[in-house]
Amino acid sequence: MNGNDEERLKQLLRGALPRVEGESEPKRDLWPAVLKRLDEKPAAPPWFDWALLAGLVGMAAFFPSAIPVFLYYL
Amino acid sequence: MHTHPYLRAYMAGVFVPTLVLPLILAVFIVLRLVLQVQVPIERFLVFPFALVPTLFGVWNVVFLWSHPRTQLPVGVYGAVLPLIGAPIGALVANCLGLVEFGGNHVTYFETVHVPYAMLPLFLLAAMAGYYLVWKYIIGFLNRVLGIA
Repeated sequence: MNGNDEERLKQLLRGALPRVEGESEPKRDLWPAVLKRLDEKPAAPPWFDWALLAGLVGMAAFFPSAIPVFLYYL
Repeated sequence: MHTHPYLRAYMAGVFVPTLVLPLILAVFIVLRLVLQVQVPIERFLVFPFALVPTLFGVWNVVFLWSHPRTQLPVGVYGAVLPLIGAPIGALVANCLGLVEFGGNHVTYFETVHVPYAMLPLFLLAAMAGYYLVWKYIIGFLNRVLGIA
């Protein structure tokens, strides 16, 4: 590869890659937003899910003989 | 991590049965070998050990494949799964002699009698349990593995 080829290759690469406009760093500090997101508590389960869980526990309490059947199907 | 999404979906699906089944095995070994409870454990374990993990994994693959079209939450997919798994489990149990269909009740494992009128309630309970497991555990795993 001679010098002309290298120059042509450089020009092709420069033409193929998009030019980076403006600053490469964000305009504001993103770290506080990351910390805020980490501190956010996950949404609590809705009442419907608690009701389902209570129903399952109640059923296991009223029909303990059903537990092996459920274990079989798990 | 953008490759093999169906493999990751399968792994997320089999996670829960793989985690729970050794505990079930331990419980039944204690019942059978320590407490001498006459439960046909060997035949009992065929369905939960051989078919349920595969069912969970394949169903999560189905979820991943069909979710862009259905837009249904993963919990709904879990709630539907007993409608598929229960007949298969009953068929396997019947073939292995684990279940007997009587005049007005079903007898599981020669010990547990379930009246036919209770079966819909059991099915609803299974759907509720699967809904919660799929919504909170498998949904979490899908998010961790980047497929949801």
